[in-house]
Formats: sequence, structure tokens, C-alpha cells
Amino acid sequence: MWSQTGKPILPGSTTDTNLPVYDAGLNNGSFRRGFRDSILIFFAVGTFGVAYGVLAIEIGFSAWLAVLSSVVIVSGAAQFAMVGLLGSGAGAFPVLAAATGLGLRHLPMAASLRRLIGPQPLGTRMRLAYVLVDETFGLTLRAADSDIEDLVAYKTAADALLVTGWILGTAVGVWFGASIDPQGIGIGVLFGLLFLGLAAPMIRNRRDWVVVVVTVVVTALAVVLLPSAWQVTGAAMVAALVGVFIDD
Amino acid sequence: MTDLFLVLGVAAITYGSRVALMTTRWTVPGGWIGRFLDVFPLALFIAIATSGLLAPDGTPAVTPGLAAAAGGVLGAVLFKRSLVGVLAIGAAAFYLTRYLVG
Repeated sequence: MWSQTGKPILPGSTTDTNLPVYDAGLNNGSFRRGFRDSILIFFAVGTFGVAYGVLAIEIGFSAWLAVLSSVVIVSGAAQFAMVGLLGSGAGAFPVLAAATGLGLRHLPMAASLRRLIGPQPLGTRMRLAYVLVDETFGLTLRAADSDIEDLVAYKTAADALLVTGWILGTAVGVWFGASIDPQGIGIGVLFGLLFLGLAAPMIRNRRDWVVVVVTVVVTALAVVLLPSAWQVTGAAMVAALVGVFIDD
Repeated sequence: MTDLFLVLGVAAITYGSRVALMTTRWTVPGGWIGRFLDVFPLALFIAIATSGLLAPDGTPAVTPGLAAAAGGVLGAVLFKRSLVGVLAIGAAAFYLTRYLVG
């Protein structure tokens, strides 16, 4: 049930709840803006999906399992870690441990997102959680600082495009991967640039600059010292803890 | 079949970590936890960027990725922190450096 304006229906106008109801259709300006803002990410994520599809087939996944994994997991980090570990001969336990380590970062992300979107129906929150990924989370944070009125519709559009790109990319990699060389186009570097671009608008004050410097140093150390599944999460946790004790 | 269960296990862990704090009644407090949550996304994104640009193959190395990082920072400055500016200048620096040094 959606409103026609894209704005929350005022409390009391629904029958059994005071939660807002949103219009996620194409007539919602925030939805269209989310769609437009995430087109670049659609292609970037699609490219990574291709790489994942190629790797999944290389380690012995069937075509349907490779695509299914992108549908049910929707996490580039977890999926690349999974195929990387399986490809190196690891068993199920390291894969699940890696997924747990990578999943830790979702906890503060979920808390931040919930604070941004305010009270929402359970189904909406569960749906938004399905694609709680770094890319659309970053876009949503940026949108929260702009003139976007309906963050739920905005993120819904971004999520839909991202999932589509991820699954389509995986399918292309699975079925046409033999003729594609994702490493040849420098996919890891483009991935890094994408996140640099998402982080740039978040740097606003002295504390943020300190956190950036600390993150770079700690990540460089983590890459050397920690298992791959814990490097990014560990470095981000340490840097964020440092940031807690720094004044704006 | 083992791979299928593994995929479902990873999916359950991933979704569980995403949905846990979206569906419980736990609210984000102020204080140091609130400050941590404020700054964590920035740290996370910079960590991912650093990992991809400094160590694209898993170990720190002098690669065209460093030129991409410098280009990305330049793009952020020139284009007022625009995502497209960071990607465009960073990618241009990366491909140019890779072309020049191999």
C-alpha cells in the first residue's frame, strides 16, 4: 500500500498503525533520484558480478548455484571471500568464519540506517536489510545530507538497480566469462576508487580527517598482519574507535 | 549439495547480520556508541578504498593503484567531492600510469 505523493501518510491516516506508508513507484521523485544516482554503481557492481561469476565457475560451482548465491547473499565481499577460500582448498568453517567477520560491519550500518529512516513497518526494514550493502548505504548517507525527501524510496531504487546489476553480472560471468578478463581492466582499483568517491563527501571536520589518516595506516598494517576476511572490518573498527575520542 | 548448504549458510549469516539491528527494538544511544556509529561508515569506506588501491592483489605494493588513489583525491578536490569526478580522474590516472609503466 503506497501513497501517491511519495511522502509519509500522516499518523492516524492508516488503519492499524502510525507507521509511514511510502510510494516506491516511478512517480516518486526520490525513487527516480535513487535510480538515477545508482546507474554508475549498477555498471560498477555488474562488472564485479562478472568477475564473481567467472571465479565461481572456476572453483567448481555449477552455473545455477553461482547465480543463486548472488541472489541469496548479495554481498560481493562475502561471495569473493567464499570463492577465494574454497579455491584455496579451505573447508566450510573458514568460509563461515569469514562471512561472520565480514558481516560484523553490517551491525553499525544497520543501526545507522535505522536511525536515518526512522520508524518503518517490519516488512520495509526487512526488505531494506536484504540489500544493506556498502554501495547503496553510502548513497543513502549522501542522500540524507541532501534534499531527498523519501529515503526509503531512494534506497529501494538504488537497491533494485544494484541487485539487478549484481545478478546480471554474475550470469554474464557464468556464461560468457571465458572471453572476459576482469583483472585486465583493473577491477580491484576501480572498486577502491568507487569507495573513495563514496567516502569523500563524508569528510567534514577535523575528526573525520584524523579518522581517514588512521584508517589508511591501520588498513595498510591489517593487510600485512590479518587474515583477508578481517582486514577491512578490523581496520574500520579500530579507526572508528579512535574517532570516538576525537573532538569535531 | 555441500556447496548449496554452504551458500545458504553464508546467506543466513550475511542477512542475519544485516537484519538484526533493523528489526529489534534496540535503539542507537548517544554517547560513545553514537559517535562510533557516526564515524564508522567513513572508516569502512576508506578501509575498502585503501585495501583496493594499496593492495589490489592482497599485499601492499607500488602499483598503478597508487596513481589511481592520487587521481581520485585530485578528482575529489577538483570536482567538489563528486563521485563521478573521483572515478573519472582516478581511473584516468590508473590507466595512464599502467600504459606508461606497464
